[in-house]
Amino acid sequence: MAPVLISALEADYILKGIDDNLRADGRGRLDYREVILETGLITQAHGSARCRLGEGTDVLVGVKVDIGTVDIDGTEEEVATVKAKRGRVVCNVECSPIASQQFAGRGADDINNELTQMMSRVLNGPQGGLNLEKLCIIPGKACWIVYIDALVLDYAGNIVDTMFMTTRAALFNTQVPKAIIHDLGDGEVEFDLSEDVEEWERIEGWEHVPISVTLNKIGSRHIVDATPLEELTTEAKLHVMVNRNGKICGIQKSGSGSIEHSLLSEMVQVHIFVI
Amino acid sequence: MFVRTQRDNFESKVVTPGQVITADTQYMRGHGTYLNEEESSHISSVAGVVERVNKLITVRPLHTRYTGNIGDLVIGRITEVTNKRWKVDINSRQDAVLLLSAINLPGGVQRRKTEADELQMRKFFAEGDLLAAEFQGSFNDGSTSLHTRNLKYGKLRNGSLIVVPPALVQRCKTHFHTLSCGVDVTLGLNGYIWVSKHSSKNLDELDPEAIYSNDNEPVDRSTRETIARVCNCINALSRHFMCITDTIIAYAYEASLKYPVKDLLKLEAMEFVTTEVRHKLSVVRSIY
Repeated sequence: MAPVLISALEADYILKGIDDNLRADGRGRLDYREVILETGLITQAHGSARCRLGEGTDVLVGVKVDIGTVDIDGTEEEVATVKAKRGRVVCNVECSPIASQQFAGRGADDINNELTQMMSRVLNGPQGGLNLEKLCIIPGKACWIVYIDALVLDYAGNIVDTMFMTTRAALFNTQVPKAIIHDLGDGEVEFDLSEDVEEWERIEGWEHVPISVTLNKIGSRHIVDATPLEELTTEAKLHVMVNRNGKICGIQKSGSGSIEHSLLSEMVQVHIFVI
Repeated sequence: MFVRTQRDNFESKVVTPGQVITADTQYMRGHGTYLNEEESSHISSVAGVVERVNKLITVRPLHTRYTGNIGDLVIGRITEVTNKRWKVDINSRQDAVLLLSAINLPGGVQRRKTEADELQMRKFFAEGDLLAAEFQGSFNDGSTSLHTRNLKYGKLRNGSLIVVPPALVQRCKTHFHTLSCGVDVTLGLNGYIWVSKHSSKNLDELDPEAIYSNDNEPVDRSTRETIARVCNCINALSRHFMCITDTIIAYAYEASLKYPVKDLLKLEAMEFVTTEVRHKLSVVRSIY
């Protein structure tokens, strides 16, 4: 179980190791741990994936697509008309309290909310890669809603990166049933779902779904893929979401510390080396 | 003769939950076991090793929290500073207590602890600090106490901590080892292991004022690398559920030299190291 406290002496050892480009487990500043990714584990879901990072952090993601009504609210008419032609992505992240002491009790709610928000923000927009318009079945009425449920089963640092990696894999694995639209005349439309599994198809644009690279600022340097002890030493974190073309799709900062301007741009550039 | 064969039956027998240990009803039910509905056989409720004392059968679980024995060396982390005592996490069911009266004061003088000492308790140990201590005893209510009244014990510096299942660390004559590769390893019986830079200082020449200092000595790159390598070796051993002693760590270290330190995080490298260790152990055993 990951510790929640760190001694000043350990923090000092970690800090000096990072200055030396040699971390406590022998990695350099920009080395990732081994990633084990599996897809299609949950038969009841439309798509699923499980990712383990260095045999420690363990995230399971299930994707379920369901028919729902399109989002018709929107204060401005323009926004409303765009929304009427779109499907939606609904995210939910839950950290299992047995994974770490910090997920037990009330503390888990904040972390769950933060991660859920982060994921919905990235995936519900043009930067998310998914072609939401393709998810619409009948404009103004029915659409596909993609439910993404992430479960953090075990924690050994760097949840966010693992979560995004798993989500991307789960979306790749997702098969959406085909909807056959019948025109009944008078503008009335109806649809049936194809039973034929062969006709099911992937969500368009899954390959453009970004993954995240989290940079942890420790001292005046930054590292990727931090262990729990390194995360406790971290002053500030920067999550940079990048897609396959190396385009930045989102940046979010967390942690209480601050990041100098020069370091910030350096940290953002780093993702290119990592990927 | 009958007794001997009975004993042999139980020795190093590994059971899983629900497995019948014995259908003999003359035995008494101990921890980790239960009787089936007809009360005709003993069944294990945990995965572990069967142990027997006279008629009492118990199963010692492989994955469990640490239960202390008097005199054990443990490594703990301070979780709380309270009235005249510290609460210490020792991977046990509840936090142990370290009384203010159970530590050595800087300066090495033996005296009653005063109110002034009470006020500066955080100068000795603050929250999060790691320390080596000896298990002093347990009280009626299940809480346990530690002491650090020896210069061997106290704050841990210049290295990093690894956590392994407590069952893997065996009780030995000494738990402070200096490996031939030049790092110190402190094996806590609670499964916390401290790997640090070798301190050449003799206990007698140790500066009594410095026992609570919060400064690391400078650690050069090669030492840091060796510490990381030893840590990764211990990690590999623990992943493969192998015993951790100074000799086994040394074997693992030798086998690991084939790989750069960071590659030891990879599964194949871990596999290689542990197979080498197993091989070496079987060779050593066949000689004796």
